[in-house]
Amino acid sequence: MDLLPLGSYTFSSRLILGTGKFSDTRTMLDAVRASGAELVTVALRRFNREQMEDDLFGPLSEIGGITLMPNTSGASSAAEAVRAAHIARELSGSPFVKVEIHPNPQHLMPDPIETFEASKILASEGFIVMPYISADPVLAKRLEEVGCASVMPLGSAIGSGQGLKTSGMLDLIIRESTVPVIVDAGLRSPGEAAAAMEMGCAAVLVNSAIAAAGDPVAMAGAFSLGVVAGRRAFTAGLMPKSGHAVATSPLTSFLGKEP
Amino acid sequence: MIALPEWLSCTKESAGLASMLSSGPAYDLESLAAESRAITLRRFGRTMTLYAPLYLSNHCPSGCAYCGFASDRSSKRRRLEADEIERELLSMKKLGVTDVLLLTGERTGVAGFDYLRKSVETASKHMQRVSVEAFPMSVEEYRALAGCGCTGVTIYQETYDLRRYEELHRWGPKKDFFHRLETPARALEGGIKTVGLGVLLGLADPLEDALMLYRHVRHLQRTCWRAGFSVSFPRMRPQAGGYTPPFSVGDHLLARMIFAFRIALPDTDLVLSTRESPAFRDGMAGLGITRMSIASRTTVGGYGDDADNAEQGQFEVFDDRTAGEFCNALRARNIEPVFKNWEPAYNGPSSVNPVRELQPEQRECR
Amino acid sequence: MITIELNGNKQEIPPGSSVSDLLALIGSIGKNTAVLLNEKIVRPENRSTAFLQEGDRVEVLIFAGGG
Repeated sequence: MDLLPLGSYTFSSRLILGTGKFSDTRTMLDAVRASGAELVTVALRRFNREQMEDDLFGPLSEIGGITLMPNTSGASSAAEAVRAAHIARELSGSPFVKVEIHPNPQHLMPDPIETFEASKILASEGFIVMPYISADPVLAKRLEEVGCASVMPLGSAIGSGQGLKTSGMLDLIIRESTVPVIVDAGLRSPGEAAAAMEMGCAAVLVNSAIAAAGDPVAMAGAFSLGVVAGRRAFTAGLMPKSGHAVATSPLTSFLGKEP
Repeated sequence: MIALPEWLSCTKESAGLASMLSSGPAYDLESLAAESRAITLRRFGRTMTLYAPLYLSNHCPSGCAYCGFASDRSSKRRRLEADEIERELLSMKKLGVTDVLLLTGERTGVAGFDYLRKSVETASKHMQRVSVEAFPMSVEEYRALAGCGCTGVTIYQETYDLRRYEELHRWGPKKDFFHRLETPARALEGGIKTVGLGVLLGLADPLEDALMLYRHVRHLQRTCWRAGFSVSFPRMRPQAGGYTPPFSVGDHLLARMIFAFRIALPDTDLVLSTRESPAFRDGMAGLGITRMSIASRTTVGGYGDDADNAEQGQFEVFDDRTAGEFCNALRARNIEPVFKNWEPAYNGPSSVNPVRELQPEQRECR
Repeated sequence: MITIELNGNKQEIPPGSSVSDLLALIGSIGKNTAVLLNEKIVRPENRSTAFLQEGDRVEVLIFAGGG
């Protein structure tokens, strides 16, 4: 079995689903089922009498086989994120937390310093910490050192659908990491999810690309297939790529003829 | 027998390198050379960093079958005293050398840690960069060396073939394979900035050794990610003591190894010593090698004017050109010889390089 | 009536109300909520004995969609 280890948990699905931006709860739940995801992100919101159907805890629990990963979105500092994580754990009973701290509400780029501080605290408190970060190889190593179970670099800006713009940095992060690397944000198509998996990502986290698709439920199924295909390709071992570097005159003639 | 750690035995890690090392149709030598050259040029530019070894002492309690300084060899034993070291360093400086590698045998009462530490202190007064290739030490000892200005530690596993290792290291402290294996990590934990790894090509199956060496480097790069690394490719040369290695590594295979390592480790220094011929060294400059030794003496105290050139060294030097001649040869190939990478002000111990035990969920072999 | 702050808005409640009473009042009984009373988490088993005072700040939170 090719399982994804995260903290003391293992998952057979390598597609993690975000639950935001869906037109309605029912479509979201159908998409979760169609995706085969076992780890699903949720956000803390204030209860509002007028939007009762917002409460996703009950409906998601009914699907079965789902582990919740609350995020700390809305937090713009480490202290706020830590507080959100505590409240979320109270509510979910899940040790997972996606540390997501974006001080700027327009571009939603993660704050590396606050993310590091919050992750350090939460890891020491026993959370399974999954920080959402820019594709920064040094930050990824620093987060690994303080006990994060994974690092989740972005492929491109949240919701932008620009795909794996950061692939060079992602390559470096994957190459140097000893924890699973999960691409979070920016993916648009199942093909991009497959490409991320082929690079050696341990999983991908997808939300907008499914929620905003023409048929979200069908797209969830397509992403599931893309992730499986990419993972199988990675474990099978891709054919080596040629460098296409060609010298104008022989470089190794000084060696003489091979005996 | 204790099993090798997973990071060292995991063949998946080195699958890419393995396919480049096997001389199939997928990778002809010329294409590897072209790619290796392109990567080297991009990452290192047209430069070659240079250093010279200084043998401090050839006292040694170990019985390494392949070494000219093994304790059963008849070599005259001596160690350099502080004033001699100073004189040697000044002679080296006159040759233009400002990056020195201090060598000793395994730890002895005559040439032990205190002797080495004092020698490092002396050397860092005169040299821009000081590194050591001596005996395995403790984290605290490495910390003390780093505090005296030592920035690099070279420690070759010699061979990663556990059984061959047992046979070749007939007696002495070097017999402990695993203690030696963990030495680079200890050095880095102690604040040493760069470690040099290598195998002595010819002692065991060279391809297997190369793959294990690669996995060792990759493991260290992941776990001690702030550190610098270099990899050497010493081939067995005729030694005092007349050991004949069971495997021979020809120029083509060595070149292939160097190209493949450059492609697999694009940011790592690759080192070639004066064991190699002038033609091979000149040819490899710019194709993948980024660091070379020059004007080397492999006898204890070989640089002074009164050096006894008839004395047997640890190995026979092949490229015996002077520093000036060699630098000119590099310049003729449009490569700038470099003796200094950093201002010595930066030669203090490295900031924390914590060495962590990997947690169960942290597995390198994915 | 006393006035508390609920999710950032003023809310009038009868004096002597507990957190449970408040949750019934706003219709969130049966929902999975996390409750903060003056920044401190009030667990479900303590909600009927946690009484509210004038000026208390209460947050009632649920899980909603998020990525």
